[in-house]
Amino acid sequence: MVATNHILVTPIYFIALPLFFAFLLPLLGKIYKSFIRIVPGLMFAYLAWMAVVLLLYVYKTGNPVIVKIAGWAPPIGIDLVFDQFTGFIATVIAILGFLVWMYSYLFKKVEFDNALKYFLLLMLIYAGSIGVVITGDLFNQFVFLEITGISAYALTAFYRGRDGAEAAFKYLLIGSFASTFVLLGILLIYTQLGTLNMADIARNIDKMDPTIKVIAFILLFTGFGIEAEMFPLNGWAPDAYSQSPGPIGAVFASMTSKAGLYALIRLSFTIFDFSSANELLFIMGILTLVFAEGIALRQEKIKRMLAYSSIGQIGLIMIAFSFNTYLGVFAGIFLMLNHALVKSLLFFSASFLAYNSPHKYIKDIQGFARYMPVTALMFGIGVFAIIGFPPFSGFWSKFYLLSAMAEKNFVILIILVLSVSLIELVYYFRVLHKLYFAEPTGEYQPHTPRWNAMLAMVLLALIIIAIGVYPDLVTGFIGKAAHAIMDKTTYINSVFSI
Amino acid sequence: MSNLQILQITFYGAAILLIAIGLYAVVTKRNLIKIVLGLSIMDSGVNLLFITVGYISHKTAPIFSPSVMAKYKTIHAAAQAMVDPVPQALVLTAIVIGFGVTAVALALVVRLYRHHNTTNIDEIRNLKW
Repeated sequence: MVATNHILVTPIYFIALPLFFAFLLPLLGKIYKSFIRIVPGLMFAYLAWMAVVLLLYVYKTGNPVIVKIAGWAPPIGIDLVFDQFTGFIATVIAILGFLVWMYSYLFKKVEFDNALKYFLLLMLIYAGSIGVVITGDLFNQFVFLEITGISAYALTAFYRGRDGAEAAFKYLLIGSFASTFVLLGILLIYTQLGTLNMADIARNIDKMDPTIKVIAFILLFTGFGIEAEMFPLNGWAPDAYSQSPGPIGAVFASMTSKAGLYALIRLSFTIFDFSSANELLFIMGILTLVFAEGIALRQEKIKRMLAYSSIGQIGLIMIAFSFNTYLGVFAGIFLMLNHALVKSLLFFSASFLAYNSPHKYIKDIQGFARYMPVTALMFGIGVFAIIGFPPFSGFWSKFYLLSAMAEKNFVILIILVLSVSLIELVYYFRVLHKLYFAEPTGEYQPHTPRWNAMLAMVLLALIIIAIGVYPDLVTGFIGKAAHAIMDKTTYINSVFSI
Repeated sequence: MSNLQILQITFYGAAILLIAIGLYAVVTKRNLIKIVLGLSIMDSGVNLLFITVGYISHKTAPIFSPSVMAKYKTIHAAAQAMVDPVPQALVLTAIVIGFGVTAVALALVVRLYRHHNTTNIDEIRNLKW
């Protein structure tokens, strides 16, 4: 049994509602100015609730929720797939979307136009990211990728004073290459198979000409890899993270990069049948990890450091998935969850730490712990969680990653991951040291976060600690998700059974 | 060589040439406007490639107009006489997306020009490239 046509709870709303309200927002702002803050919040709250309801339904019954759009059954029509894996990632994005909204509820309180732009683009980037994850159609995925991309360019160029336009142009150049690659890859698949539905492509993939199959895979992998911040195509990421408004760093880390990563995983696990796809994931993962963590060590600015650390985590996730074992995939999904939660907390707190220092250098924040103890504590929790100390969620994700490696007897990899954790320890503790133990210069008076931002950070920290203390809260969902992504046949069958 | 082959070579050649020209402009030109133009040309090349792939020789546009229906009687027969409509629908979407990206890119160029008073990419180097 597949629930497709429930009126209140259907995956279509993840895409339809944000798009609808994004276009309606300027009008709502004309009626009552605070609507531009309240309405997105109600929508994000509703979608987060809906995501949890759907995920619980899928988890309990074991049946994915698949929606055919406009009454056309796949492979002709477009379908949305909310199964154990896509549903889990969509739920993470939905909950983070709500928390980002809560954090930025009073963002640009006096500048109506800027606030309008911000909330509008936030809803669009949210719709695009969830769309990439839940769609079952390759071309549809490309369209959502572009929605995500265009709103990300605009958000990067949000501030006029900074170098936002430069960062956004750089992002746009690389992003346009990504979309051209994806489009050419889709074209090659279409000429060979005459279909765009992922499940249909997956079941017919052996009918493709081997050479063209390889070229199509490389084109799509490169295109989505750019969005997932894969080495060496991630030159845009640190600039975009550091030039965009504070909460958008969290959006990039928890939504857009997750969407790109999801597309890479779906390509390697479901659509194509290369055994060497895992090796490609593995090599790119190692390169991304080593390169990013190495550069993070040398960063002087706090947001750039967080951005490189974020890229490093993406590398770690790719390595975990490349094992293609249950434990590896399990660790990869756990890492995705952990990265989304912890990196958001870090960006939330760091953007307040760096708020008043004009150049956002790490040395500017010395002694800030005295001015804003709670924010500093939140940053500290984030640091401990990302490095992997118990009792935070990061401990379990790294623990499962190491067990996955131990299962395959990758001793060198275990050493690599542990030494990378050591590098993380060095550069994060440098910041913590400045924050807590250096004498304040008194040059800058930091802004203390407002109640809504504080609440969002405390909620995130509580979730991180709760998962750290009771990992069983999420391991059930993650386990089902890992089974779902590794089981290609069930995916294909469930798409065609509706 | 038949007419069809000449047609195919021309169209595939033109599409690949457009992509190459666009790529060349993006990689070598230093003027921001020229880079945006290059991106646009690259997009057009990909779109042309899509249309060419969907073309089937001696077939008509995929529209069930009264004149087509009068000629072929049944829907099935009419459909047999048409080119593949999917690439055309995809290209329509891709054109709109390309338009959006170009608009954002030009807006960014304006912003950059106001900020730096130049459109030369070499002189805009506040960030590491």
